[in-house]
Amino acid sequence: MRVLVVEDDPALAEGIARALRAEHFAVDVAGNGEDGGHLGDTEAYDVAVLDLGLPKRGGLSVLAEWRAGGRTLPVLILTARDAWTDKVLGFKAGADDYLVKPFRVEELVMRLRALVRRAAGHAVSVIRAGALTFDAQTGQFEYEGLPLKLTAFEWRVLSCLMLRKGIVIERLALLERVYQGDVDVGSNSLEVIVGRLRRKIGAAAIETIRGRGYRLVDPPCV
Amino acid sequence: MPRSLSRRLLATASIALVVALAVAAFGIAHLLERFVMHGLDERLDAQIAVVTRAVRQDGTLDRARTIDVPPFDAAGSGWAWEVRGPGGVLRSASLGSSDIAVRDRERHGPPRFDPLGPAADRPRPFDGRDPAGDEVHGRVLRLPTARGGVEILAVAPRDVVERPLHAALVPLLGSLLLLGIALAVAILAQLRFGLRPLVTLRAMVDEVRDGERRHLDATEPTELLPLVAALNTLIDANEAALAQARGHVANLAHGLKTPLAALRLDLAVPGRDPDGRLSAQVERIDRHVRHHLGRARAATPAGSVRLATPLRAHVDDLIAALARIHADRPVRAVVTMDADLAVRCDPQDVDEMLGNLLDNGWRWARTTLDISAERTGAMVHIAIADDGPGLANADLRRVIKPGVRLDERGDGHGFGLSITRELAELYGGRLELAIGAVGGVVATIALPAS
Repeated sequence: MRVLVVEDDPALAEGIARALRAEHFAVDVAGNGEDGGHLGDTEAYDVAVLDLGLPKRGGLSVLAEWRAGGRTLPVLILTARDAWTDKVLGFKAGADDYLVKPFRVEELVMRLRALVRRAAGHAVSVIRAGALTFDAQTGQFEYEGLPLKLTAFEWRVLSCLMLRKGIVIERLALLERVYQGDVDVGSNSLEVIVGRLRRKIGAAAIETIRGRGYRLVDPPCV
Repeated sequence: MPRSLSRRLLATASIALVVALAVAAFGIAHLLERFVMHGLDERLDAQIAVVTRAVRQDGTLDRARTIDVPPFDAAGSGWAWEVRGPGGVLRSASLGSSDIAVRDRERHGPPRFDPLGPAADRPRPFDGRDPAGDEVHGRVLRLPTARGGVEILAVAPRDVVERPLHAALVPLLGSLLLLGIALAVAILAQLRFGLRPLVTLRAMVDEVRDGERRHLDATEPTELLPLVAALNTLIDANEAALAQARGHVANLAHGLKTPLAALRLDLAVPGRDPDGRLSAQVERIDRHVRHHLGRARAATPAGSVRLATPLRAHVDDLIAALARIHADRPVRAVVTMDADLAVRCDPQDVDEMLGNLLDNGWRWARTTLDISAERTGAMVHIAIADDGPGLANADLRRVIKPGVRLDERGDGHGFGLSITRELAELYGGRLELAIGAVGGVVATIALPAS
């Protein structure tokens, strides 16, 4: 899962990025409204965290422009403005959730996961595919009833496939959601990650669709 | 100096009225007296002219050339004539053998105005008494003769002048009194009419204070327009100051909350705050900031402009927002209220009060949140009823106190209900919590209707 964080306070932005990466999210940070708006327009994100009081361009204007341009990515407004009128304005501009500073990290992570899950069309938090279970609320994978230990890259790839189980995910779309904008791919090429995942959850679980991408096999429930 | 403007105007007008009426009364009386006196003088002068024929050039008197026509012949009539000279004395029959007593020859002096010009051969007035002792008005003519000066006097009773004068003055003064009363009534009416714009202006200022209008709106009278403009400038300055204060509060919020959020994130890193002491301090600072920002917002409505805030639109917006905030708690919100219901409160405060109550209801509701509102007299009562587990009576009283929080599930900060109550009370309304028919909590807030 890849998150865009638009926050002008460097200390807070750094803290949020650190906390989200600890939860396996890929995180891009923008320090002002212009950069944030541009990133949201050009890169693929599963969810965005948007401050309202931003330099250069206000968060509400960034959000309104995304929505006017047809961008449907879920947006969580993270702001110090705790008045209900501000919340109403935020939702009217197209926000999906609203969190007031200061906040608990767990609360932010939980809300972001819920936004991504709902955007993928899952009404409940536990998603199953054969022997694999994903709790979209806690971010935990279980395979055959036991917790699955995954690296951050593995988690990103698997959660992305899991949320769209049974559907072919384009290779490029998967790549975009796995790597942060500023990280060198290095040895963690997509093929290597998928290979490691197959060793953990069975080779047949992830299908390679030649020339297109990957699909998580979703066997019918027995 | 009277403090009231209308009393000042009334006092000035009354004094001017009394002085004008007094001058008019004296002036008219004086004119009348002169008019009557003039007629009398002509008659006396005619008599003097008749009697003058009895004075010969050498100073002797010829009794036979005098005529006694009525009323000069009747004794005690008050009408009389007399000729005094070196050649003896002639008297009218009315005098008998007594003289006319000249009491005050100097009083009138020479004639003040004589169309024929000052002349020694014209009679001059005097006051005196007849032999019976009654007041008389007289004329005297001095003629030079070879043997010395001769005086010819003619008198008429003072009464002849005073009776018609008196008869004319009584109705005259009555008329002036009536005129005075009419003018006084006119002055009062004028004061009421003339000062009415001030009353209107005061009512308008009251409306501005109550938030029913934003500015004073007067196009007349021209004398008050500078005052209206100055008051409007003052209102604008007040509003700007309020907006600025609100801006400062928002800036303070942003300024404090962002570093607090960063601090909290830092402390969440494993090992940074093993016993949770620092986190507890951050929590305390956060609670204080929230509490005082909430209070600062709650303290503003007294001076703000409160226009009609439509209830239905704000409730619908808040419900749309809450449905997203609590996306994983599918609660059905049922709204029952007239679309044209409005309250006389600042729209932001309406959002704050109803947002807190709806948020609370949403947290506790099992399936449904019932929102209804109706107008009762000058107030609108808005009831928000959830179908949740309800609260014990003791808790119902406790939760609307600052900082008390029973709900540990969400990110409620424990000030929502107390801020809502404070805001409602600032608007002259109130907040009440009770247990509803289905067992859940019913929060009822009363706000002034618009």
